[in-house]
Parts: sequence; structure tokens; C-alpha cells
Amino acid sequence: MKILAAYNIKGGVGKTATAVNLAREAVRAGRRTLIWDLDPQGAATFYFRIKPRVKGGGKALVRGRLELDAAVKGTDFEGLDLLPADFSYRKFDRLLGKAPKPGRQLMRLMRPLAEDYDLLILDCAPNISLVSENVFRAADALLVPVIPTTLSARTLVQLQDFLARQGGVGHLRLWPFFSMVDRRKRMHRELVTELAAAHPDFLDARIPYAAEVERMGERRAPVAEFAPGSVAAAAYGALWREIEGRLGV
Amino acid sequence: MPSTPLFEIPPEVDLDTLAALLPEPLHLGEGGDRRLTRTWLDSFDWRLYRAGGLLEEVQEPAGRLLRWRDFKSGDLLAWEEVPGRPQRAADIPAGPVAEEVAPALGVRVLLPQVEVQVEQRLVRVLDDEEKTVLRLELEQARYLAPHGHAKGELAPRLRLVPVKGYQKELERVARRFAGDWPEPRATQMEEALTALGRAPGDYSSKLDIALDPGMRADEAAKAIHLYLLRILEANLEGTRADLDPEFLHDLRVAIRRTRSALTQIKGVFPPTVVENFKGRFAWVQQVTGPVRDLDVYLLDLPGYREGLPDLLRPGLAPLETFLARHHAEEQAVMARKLASPHFRKLLKDWRAFLEAPVPDVPDPEAPKAALPVAEVASARIWRMYRRVLREGRAISDDSPAEALHELRKSCKKLRYLMEFFLALYAAEEVRPLVKQVKVLLDDLGAFQDLEVQARSLSGFAGRMVEEKTADTTTLLSLGALIGGLWHRQAKARRRFQRTFADFDSAANGKRFRHLFRA
Repeated sequence: MKILAAYNIKGGVGKTATAVNLAREAVRAGRRTLIWDLDPQGAATFYFRIKPRVKGGGKALVRGRLELDAAVKGTDFEGLDLLPADFSYRKFDRLLGKAPKPGRQLMRLMRPLAEDYDLLILDCAPNISLVSENVFRAADALLVPVIPTTLSARTLVQLQDFLARQGGVGHLRLWPFFSMVDRRKRMHRELVTELAAAHPDFLDARIPYAAEVERMGERRAPVAEFAPGSVAAAAYGALWREIEGRLGV
Repeated sequence: MPSTPLFEIPPEVDLDTLAALLPEPLHLGEGGDRRLTRTWLDSFDWRLYRAGGLLEEVQEPAGRLLRWRDFKSGDLLAWEEVPGRPQRAADIPAGPVAEEVAPALGVRVLLPQVEVQVEQRLVRVLDDEEKTVLRLELEQARYLAPHGHAKGELAPRLRLVPVKGYQKELERVARRFAGDWPEPRATQMEEALTALGRAPGDYSSKLDIALDPGMRADEAAKAIHLYLLRILEANLEGTRADLDPEFLHDLRVAIRRTRSALTQIKGVFPPTVVENFKGRFAWVQQVTGPVRDLDVYLLDLPGYREGLPDLLRPGLAPLETFLARHHAEEQAVMARKLASPHFRKLLKDWRAFLEAPVPDVPDPEAPKAALPVAEVASARIWRMYRRVLREGRAISDDSPAEALHELRKSCKKLRYLMEFFLALYAAEEVRPLVKQVKVLLDDLGAFQDLEVQARSLSGFAGRMVEEKTADTTTLLSLGALIGGLWHRQAKARRRFQRTFADFDSAANGKRFRHLFRA
């Protein structure tokens, strides 16, 4: 089982849209896929029309009273399951802090899922916390959506610096890609060129700024389901194929 | 509750009926249709079924799947995508399905036992968030006989396919439906077979002849012969088409048993009848012999190869070519003879005789015809048992091979007699005795077969030299094989005294006396 985490220190960069649309592509490619919605706001859970509730909350999971698998819900797509968000996840840090080996708790919880899934996609909350440290240890790669703005580019550098100082994340690959790109803005065009040159790990696929992505909230489905011919749907398809190639699955 | 509850539903149930039955706030979402064909594959003699399995082939426009299930529970144990319908175990791609099927199937071919063509309506059950919480499969199936034109509708079925994490919804809906509709009583495969007047495992080469101890002996003999005739006829098509070697094997065993029953169940038919059919069936045995011999060598070839040193193994390739070529020639000759008017007339005459009612006043030359069968059977088995003992006890280490061959023939007669009349005796008493005879026969068979094989291989070597297809390596490897066979034969001979002593025990004698002398 490969683990991908959609992550950025900054919020509102298209993280959840990435997780949801990539999951749909992965399932279409025949991978048994699970999304874990780790963001207490529960946007991914909402997109899949699932009620944001885990019995006993994060506490039951960390204390081992609830197997991760028992909290999993099937989505409308065969082969794609979701572990819902729970409002209690906002206190996840405190719970993990009390457990032994607090930095490895998520890894321990996820291990039994390896038999049932080929791919686990983590949709993470936008902050640096004990939860995100857990994610860095467990994931094979971080997918970092970057809006081509100065501020967003800065957070990528911050993340790189942070990871460089962290222990136990030597295996973790950092795969940034451009998100919410607006070709009409000169600054977007310039920054895309500049950043891609500075960071050779940038994925080639670019997710455009598109009305279809925003309509996901209203349609409560991945873009390719309600706008299969759209530029955004094609962009997520291309992003998945690139990731699939890099993962070697 | 089963993980995917299944209901048998009346034909008039449609989506509106289902929608009306769903508990609030559940409702039906959009659906789709799917067509597929399920074919259940097994060997002619149901080896997969006897191994507790069920091999199901599913054909859809998207592709073809093989599913291996537990026969009783229906649980899916393994599956595999396949490019086409497999004929033999080796045609299934390496994987868990092949691993299960290969040892059970052996050399037999997979045949379609029964097929259903399925139309499925797939529909989602949604909750108040318009989220899929359950899937329904409404299935209409028609069964088809694999050959022939028998077909018809099966009762429609409704399957509930759960969505992970929505067990409560599944249970609510299942309870609602269970109030109106039953679970199917049998699997779809069994239902389809039943509709065709068949059942899983309905062919076996093992004898299981229903007899009643009070029956007239001639009537019982006819029942035995009819049973054997059915086995013979069932294997004809597969033998002619050379589907796998077991068809011919079962056919030949049926003929051997028929001839044995004709001569060993004495005094029940007029001697002219016995002589007539004995001779005609001997002809069948004779025309099917060469192919069977070649089958045996072809089947043994991998074992032969393993028994040789690496150096000599390549020498067997020309032998394989030689055997395969002669097999093809002999098969064609045999297939022609088995399709000849001569052979068809034999079967027709034989059936006519067997199906004719027994005469009220028996032929004076068939003095035992009207006796109760139990009496005739026990007397014959007892006599043959005494003969086996007499012949066996006379064999010493110095006796010629012919003495063992004669004993083997008597043993075989004894075994067949016991198997024909199995139903007349308490199973737990007679079966262990049959087993004993088989053990003795295995030893005697090994002794004789190894000698025959050694002689045949030596004959093949001569013919291959004549045909200029054997080089030095081939001759050396044949020599090594023949040496190995003689060695094994000598071992079987040394084993004989002990095996026979076990058979000739006092306890065994008491059991035979108790069952057949009383």
C-alpha cells in the first residue's frame, strides 16, 4: 500500500479537491483506494456525502477501542472508501501526545489497512502539528498544491526547511504541483516558470483555476463525474498518471 | 445475516415494488443494466464438485472471469481473469484458481455443466444525503443445457450488495424484504441443473447399483448390466472426440465389467445370450486397446522422465513424438470403429435384451434365473473368494509370473462381483472387504503392469529403430527405463507375500464367511 498525503501549511490551495479527484482517478485505474479525511472541517467527507462522524471520535481510534477499518465507509464509487472526518480531530494533537511513541501513532493505525488497499490518500489539515508529523513519517510522498503566488511559494520553502530539520522523514518525497493556476494573470505565468526552474521536483501537470472545481461543493462529487470533458477533469487525470508513474505502481 | 442477502422474488416484482418497500428516508437512485453469462465448469465426473469446489466462469462484455467458490457456502475463495474458456488445468493462468483446480482436475478436461444467461438491473439505494448506502441487483436468468436445446426461465433473484460502513441500512432493508420473500433454497447452479433433470455429481464411474435381496437373479443381473451400459454410453462421445484419456478408460472398465458380469453371474441368462454378447464385447475391448496402451505411456511419460538421470532425459523426446503420432493414428481408427453400424447394432441389441421383461418361466438352461439374487450373489462371491485363497496360497517365491497373473484375474472377478452386489450387504461390513481386495489387486497389478510396460518399451525401441527415429540417447534412456521397471517389478513381487498374508488372515476369513456363507 502506498500512502500519499495532500498537504500544505497554507489553507485554501485546493488540497481537498486534489485528494478527492485523485482518489477517483486512482479507482478508475483499478487501485483499491482509501481517503482518510484528517481535516476536522471534513470537506472531503462532505464531497462524498458521508456524515462526518467516527464512533467514539479520534479518542477511540488512538486508544485502540475502534479499529480504523470499522470506521471506514464505502463511497458511491466501487473500490473507493473513505474514513470520515470527525469534529474531535481538532483535539487529535492532544490525544496523540498522550500516547506512547506519539510520532508513530498514525503509522500504527494504518498498518492493518495495507491488505485491503493499494493506495491511501490522506487529506490533511493546513498546519504543522503532531498530526502532520505523524503524516510525514507514514506517507511515501507529500503532494503539495502550490498557487503561483509569492505567499504560497514561501510556504513551500518553509515546508522544505521544516522537513530538513525533522528526523525520521528521510524516505519522504516532496512533490509540489501548481494549483488554481490562472493563465490570464501575468504573475501566475511568471511564477510558474520561475518556481518550476527552482524546484525540479515539481510535477508537470497543472490544475487550472476553474469554475468546475468550485462546483464540487454543490455537486458533491469529483469533477470528472459531472464535468467529464472539462479542462479541470483532464488536469486531474494527467496529475494522477504522473503520480502513478513516480510511485511505480 | 448473510453478507449479501439474497431473495427469490415473484416475476412481477419491479423497481416500483422495491421503491415502495424501502423504509424512510431510503429511496432508489439511478440504475443501470448488465448482461452476463455464468457457466459452471467441471470435469465429466465432477472432480471439482467432489473436491468441494465450484468453478464459475463469468462472461461480460468487459471480459471473462473465473471464480473458485466453496460449493457448500458459495463463498468466493479466488478469482482470475482469463482470455478464453480454459479446457485443461494448464490453461488457467498461474495463480490461486489454478492452484485449487489443477490437483482436483488431474488430466481431465473442463466441460460446461450448465449455463445461465443473466440480465441484471442494478440500482442504488440512497439516504437523505443522496448517498449510496446499498446496491440492489435484480436478476433474471435463463438456463441452457451445454449441448442440446433445453432452456427455460429460473425464478428471479434479488441480491443486496452492501456498501462498507452501512450495515444498519442493509439490515433494515433485508428485514423488510424478508417479510415478503424467501431465500432461494438452492444455488443458481443447482437450480439450473435441477431444471434440466440433473444434479451435481450425477455421473460417477463408481458403481452404486440399487438392488433388493429378494429380486430375481436375472432381473438383478439386467439392472447391473443396464447400469454398466449407461456408463459405457455416457463415455462414448468423449472417447470418440478424445477429450481426455479418462473417457476411454471409464468406457473400457465398463466393458470389462460387463464381460465379467456376463460370465461370473452364472446361470441367469441362456448360454447363447452370454456367448453372443461376450464375444461382441471382446471385440470392443480389442479395438479400444491400442489407444489405451498409448494413453498410459503418454500419461506416464513425465514420471519416466523424472526417473532418469539428467543426461538421458532429452532421449525421451523422440519417444513422446513416436507415441503421440501412433496415438493419433490409433485414435482415428478407434473413433471410426466406435461410430460403425457394427458397434451401434451391438449397443442396440444389448439394450433391447436388457430392457425386455424377464420370462415368467425361465429358460431351462438358465437354472438360477428365478432364484433370489442374494442367494446367487453370496454363492458366487464365496466361491471366488475360496478360489483366490487357493491360488494365492499355492504361490511361492519360485512360482512363475503366470501364477500371479492368474491370481490377479481371479481377484478382479472377486472385486467386480462384490461391487455389483454391494447394495445387498451392510455397507460398513462389505466396504472394508472390497478395500482389502483392492489392496491385493494393486500389488498384483503393479507386478504385471510393470512387466507389460517393460516389454512394450522394448517393442517401441525396436519400432523406432525401424522408423529411424531413435538415436543413441533415446535407446540408452529406454534401456535405463526398462531397467528401472524390472527393478520396481521385483520389489512388487517381494511385497506380494506380505500383502497376501494380510488378506489371508483368520479375521478376514471370518468376515467373508459371515457375509457370504450364511
